[in-house]
Amino acid sequence: MNSLGRTTGDKIKSFLMFALPGTFVFVCVVIIPFLYGFYLTFTDWNGVAAVKNLVGFDNYKALAQDKDFWNSMGLTLKYVVLSVILVNAFGFLFAYFLSGRIKKGQNVFRAGFFTPNLIGGVVLGFIWQFVFSQLLVKFGKSLGIAIFSKSWLSDPTKAFWALVIVTVWQLSGYMMLIYIAGFTGLSEDVLEAASIDGAYGWSKMRHIVLPLMVPSFVICIFLTLSRAFMVYDINLTLTGGEPYGSTRLVAMHVYEKAFTARQYGIGQAEAVFLFFVVAIISGLQVYIGKKQEVEA
Amino acid sequence: MKKNLNRMAALLMTVACVSSLAACGSSTTTETTKAADTTAAADTTAAGTEAAAAPAEKSELAGQSITLLNSKGEIQTALEELAATFTDETGINLEVLACGTGEVPYTKVTSMYSSGTAPTMSILDTTDVIALAGEYGLDLSSQDWIKYCDNMTTKIDGKVYSFPFCVEGRGIIYSKKSIEDALGKTFDPASINSLDSFKAVCEELRAAGMENPVVLSKEDWSLGAHQLGYIYDTYDGTTAGADKIMAALKDGSQKVEDYDRFNQFMDTMDVILDYNYNKEDPLGAIYDEDPMHLVEGEAAFWPNGNWAWPNLETAGAETSDDYGFIPFVLGNDSSDLANTSMQASPTKQLMVDAKQSTEEQQKAALEFINWLVNSESGQKGLVEKLALIPACSNNTVAPKDPLSRDIVAKMTSGNTYSSSFVAPSDHWSVVGAVMQKYVAGQTDRAGAASEIDAYWQAQK
Repeated sequence: MNSLGRTTGDKIKSFLMFALPGTFVFVCVVIIPFLYGFYLTFTDWNGVAAVKNLVGFDNYKALAQDKDFWNSMGLTLKYVVLSVILVNAFGFLFAYFLSGRIKKGQNVFRAGFFTPNLIGGVVLGFIWQFVFSQLLVKFGKSLGIAIFSKSWLSDPTKAFWALVIVTVWQLSGYMMLIYIAGFTGLSEDVLEAASIDGAYGWSKMRHIVLPLMVPSFVICIFLTLSRAFMVYDINLTLTGGEPYGSTRLVAMHVYEKAFTARQYGIGQAEAVFLFFVVAIISGLQVYIGKKQEVEA
Repeated sequence: MKKNLNRMAALLMTVACVSSLAACGSSTTTETTKAADTTAAADTTAAGTEAAAAPAEKSELAGQSITLLNSKGEIQTALEELAATFTDETGINLEVLACGTGEVPYTKVTSMYSSGTAPTMSILDTTDVIALAGEYGLDLSSQDWIKYCDNMTTKIDGKVYSFPFCVEGRGIIYSKKSIEDALGKTFDPASINSLDSFKAVCEELRAAGMENPVVLSKEDWSLGAHQLGYIYDTYDGTTAGADKIMAALKDGSQKVEDYDRFNQFMDTMDVILDYNYNKEDPLGAIYDEDPMHLVEGEAAFWPNGNWAWPNLETAGAETSDDYGFIPFVLGNDSSDLANTSMQASPTKQLMVDAKQSTEEQQKAALEFINWLVNSESGQKGLVEKLALIPACSNNTVAPKDPLSRDIVAKMTSGNTYSSSFVAPSDHWSVVGAVMQKYVAGQTDRAGAASEIDAYWQAQK
């Protein structure tokens, strides 16, 4: 730290040189729009009018009364919990088996599981829409499998699970990569010492590997949490909120409120609310997770 | 220290990731920069051509640069070609701005306005024009072309702010061939003029082996705006009438469940559902496959509009085939306008910006409209290149596809009613969901009525 500048002048100079450009951009594209957006929640702006009237907390009152918003929020929480658990469980399992357990074709499997993550959410949604509403239906009909003989996307519960499945399929490969990095970073010495002390199988996993992998879990859970909370692309192209608006996750609801229903102020208030929910939950998760970390 | 730094970094990351959603403004910023770039680019080209040559016989506005925001994705390429022809003939540079796939036109145009780079002209839905015109639209009431399309214009406070860019019509599409092949006799579409006659022909088809002759698409815009929309359209067949019934629904003086048109509509819907090709899994219908059933002769009817022609064509229909419309029948009074006529109204409107464009640009925009209405290449381009139905009666170029031809024929014979869709912008999505529930059997008529009522009551 000290090498950067001995005097205050030096410190300012090095700040200007290294941090200012980044800070400037960050302030311009994140902080200012955010604050402006916050201001808009107190207006009745419809997205286009030249005059914005201040309406106090009306938008927040409307938010509290927006039943659909709370439904979407509930559905989103369910979706987030399920995706976070499943994505990380699968990611961890893949990583566990592909970092030593399975030697043959290790790289092929790694690449294979990671590939879905390289396909954009929009395209991915369309692909799976085809799978769920056409491919599986054709299979189901010709083989007489009842569960597949109707489109999954025409039933609220199944459509919701379709969303979860696609999310898991997309994200677990990415998380696998982070877990593999975590496994690779485990110290051989510690593992060997554990074996000598008689820790094998589950007890080695439970008492040695898992605690050492906490940093990977913290990152992976953070990433899945924030991505799952704000998912829009898959929601839009896979189900489009259908059938009858039953799979509309909260980001989509906010968008529709602001731009389809043209209640910009309310939509913005809901977005701000969502921001705080996600910020608090992810912040807590990172804070608690960091406390669990142990030094090897 | 290190741990603290990590924590800080993690927190910052949280903020950065999460706020990207909350800060809708940031996406607007990038959007507008792009728009600004294109305008700047257009300006330079304009200056270039102006300096090069602006022949004297061309319009006095030659060299002006104007922009046109197009919200009708399927005509983008053709519209660009048409714009090039316009530039060749008049010397006015016209750039067509596309509204990207998945981008909501209203969002696009409002963000352009907010950033001060409004397009000189925008092609928008009628509801969008109503929302914007009062503040930003140029008053077109005294334009000459109004005499050709007076019954097609949308008036806001008694003034016309938009040029009806194209007419679209909807009803129940029939495939004459499917019906005649199944029944083995000729089919006269005019014979369908009541719910009973529609039901009779469906039953006849079923008896002849076509088990479920009606294809019902499940899309919310189709069910919500286009099918349920008939209850507003047929109030008296005018936009003013639709406005009136919507106002009554809003203030509660009319309940949906007691509204005749709603009950007639649901009666027709029940018949359609009974004969629905997608009956087994109504919400599993696939829009791209729906027209195939008609083309392959497995079904005979498809409640939809002339915009479905490209889908039919992709499915294998030829422009020489016999497709046309029967009205979306309501009730059994065969002299009712809902049964004698089909809905045909301007769906896209061209609005000229009055606030952010120069006077010359506005004049150039008006010239473009005149060119579309009066010049031979404009008329031909609109009908043949863009495959649209013109709203102006002086344009007599015949459309190429059978659905549009049928609409033009019905317009000429007076068998259309013209009520523009003026419901609030989220109507199709909210009420579409209600209709989907009904179609899937998740709610009954009373349940659907009360949900639609609740929607209207919630409007201010």
